[in-house]
Amino acid sequence: MAINRYTKMAYGSADEMIFGKSKFPVKAGLGLEIGGGYTTPEVNYAPRPEAGASKEKLVKEYQRITTDIMNRMVQVGFPAVVLETEHVEQMTNNPTWGGEVAHAQKTIMEEFHDEYGIKCALRHTPGDIREDRDFLELRGDKFNTLMESFEEVASNGADLLSIETMGGKEVFDYSILRNDVPGMLYAIGCLGTMDMDFIWQEIASVAKKNNVVAAGDTDCSEANTAMFIAGGLLDKNLAHTLAIIARAISAPRSLAAYEAGAVGPGKDCGYENTIVKSIAGVPIAQEGKSSTCAHSDVMGNLVMQCCDLWSNESVEYHAEFGGTSVQCWSESLAYDCALMNTATATGKAKDLRDLFTLSDKYRDPQGYVLAYDNAYRVGEAIVKDGNDIYLRAKNAALKSIEIMEEGVAGKLELTRFEKGALADAKAALGALTDDQDTFMSDCMSKYKEEVKVFLPENYGL
Amino acid sequence: MTSLDIDPSEILVRYNVKMEKAMTPEDAAAELYPKDELYRPIAEAIFEGEEDDVIEGLEKAIDAGKNPIALIDDALMVGMKVVTDLYDQGVIFLPNVMMSADAMLDGIDFCKEQSDEAPVSKGKVVCHVAEGDVHDIGKTIVAALLRANGYEVVDLGRDVPVDEVIEAVKAEKPIMLTGTALMTTTMYAFKAVNDRLLEAGLKVPFACGGGAVNQDFVTTYELGVYGEEAADAPKMADKIVAGAGISALKEEFHKH
Repeated sequence: MAINRYTKMAYGSADEMIFGKSKFPVKAGLGLEIGGGYTTPEVNYAPRPEAGASKEKLVKEYQRITTDIMNRMVQVGFPAVVLETEHVEQMTNNPTWGGEVAHAQKTIMEEFHDEYGIKCALRHTPGDIREDRDFLELRGDKFNTLMESFEEVASNGADLLSIETMGGKEVFDYSILRNDVPGMLYAIGCLGTMDMDFIWQEIASVAKKNNVVAAGDTDCSEANTAMFIAGGLLDKNLAHTLAIIARAISAPRSLAAYEAGAVGPGKDCGYENTIVKSIAGVPIAQEGKSSTCAHSDVMGNLVMQCCDLWSNESVEYHAEFGGTSVQCWSESLAYDCALMNTATATGKAKDLRDLFTLSDKYRDPQGYVLAYDNAYRVGEAIVKDGNDIYLRAKNAALKSIEIMEEGVAGKLELTRFEKGALADAKAALGALTDDQDTFMSDCMSKYKEEVKVFLPENYGL
Repeated sequence: MTSLDIDPSEILVRYNVKMEKAMTPEDAAAELYPKDELYRPIAEAIFEGEEDDVIEGLEKAIDAGKNPIALIDDALMVGMKVVTDLYDQGVIFLPNVMMSADAMLDGIDFCKEQSDEAPVSKGKVVCHVAEGDVHDIGKTIVAALLRANGYEVVDLGRDVPVDEVIEAVKAEKPIMLTGTALMTTTMYAFKAVNDRLLEAGLKVPFACGGGAVNQDFVTTYELGVYGEEAADAPKMADKIVAGAGISALKEEFHKH
């Protein structure tokens, strides 16, 4: 499939963006239309570690999980649900395992759909297994196994295909620990996008062949690494102003999936998805206050602002007082969706959206930039040079800095340290060339020397 | 956005802004640098993370008659302690420590090249990422912080087979073993490492942390000590050097 870069926005203004509706809804699974006017819970789970001992145990575990979720949904009267199975490595490395799990899950979902009419879809997310002990191995035998995994799940019941790819991570891990913003730009904006171009054309082909949906990717391995290292307000591991610059750069990188044939819904942990939605108009999954079972963040309400699927990121399958963990979290997600859908039905959706946004907009610079009005502006900066993967990523970084500077002049409070990191980042970006070839060449020399595990051939370089 | 807006002070507190210390990192560091005119530029260069300036300072000190191996403790480690102390106090952030550690390691290599003697470290620590797990940024941070605090690190890398961990502990005789993992499925390798160490009679403290690893899990095996943050690793090593056993470590670092 060809790459078609975005050079204009899907929406005429930020205010047009809302939860539950996307410019280009996606029909999937058993009766669902994602982004078609309502939000839907997307439940995510991990098997108990001991279940990974054999294929039979894993299949049985996922059958239990699926049955538990579907039962709770109908017990409390929720109209729709999406299940996401993020593979444990055995399921991707042994493609038929993933296929059997998908088949077992979908069989149960079909039974519930047939009996109760509940709308549902199954997302499968193979692990990005393209690495060996020492190096990323993005192209080669492991890539072939990964594609077999997609083929197996797509032909056995998965409705939505996703992955969290790791292109650029070797350079990113080095850069983020050294406040190296040009390195982050090279890792995410350039190397990450090049790998996305490569792999998503293939995934889109598998989806087309099997008549399922090529959904989307997330920059979990890089922008979320930055977010987690940055941590809470009092953590001292990374300036939050740098974490959001990494996030802004990740938007054009995650956008590349849709330029290569994906159609959404984007993956839940892609906090960059509001920016992506503003450009591509695709439905998006998001997670926030609902994913505290997996990790903390500082924008738990804000990220609901434009979501189409509302997710819990992941929870280990085990017993809680209120049932199994997947039952508790699916019910919580579904009640959130019921509130959003009520707001839509009563004409109050924009009010609720703005309440979600305002409750976190000034909590942290990350939420400030991702507030949908500001996210939209980052989107505009990206499409301005949409055909140049380097310039558009640099534009996103610079726009996020500009937005934070405006915020500081208003109600956004930053520490001196955060302001210092922001000023340093601005200076580093300001010193960069506007020429992609020069930047790529300079970075190739620098990081080949400094990052021992960086292999340019992973990117066709 | 609609005209809806809010005074954020009504709904949230930016505790980091409220609590930020008045002193700049540079001012705080200036108070801690050694007074010796040969050592001070080296310590300053470590703080700034400037490798070339570190080497230049070392060359001057050696030309002035200083012992290259003694310079490791007297200048490089003193400069690094300024950095780690300010990190522990919350004055500077992790990337500063990483860049300073890079500069310090270059300096140590330079000193070793200038001498036939071998430096003596505070102790040796073996670090690894669990078998089946390739997520290694946590281990990278742990190893850097240990080195920054004067420990010799034997870094086994990521996705390390249990057998290899046991062999390394037998060969290196470390004061501590660290294990990091991102995933619940891979962290079970820690139990296997624990059991194999016990079988071999190697009762070495096994500091575990990262991603999905939690205290409840680490408590289930005898040698395990849970580290909630990477910065706990050098603190545990310091306690071990001071005589703490596994029980005492669990008492101090198991916070939940």
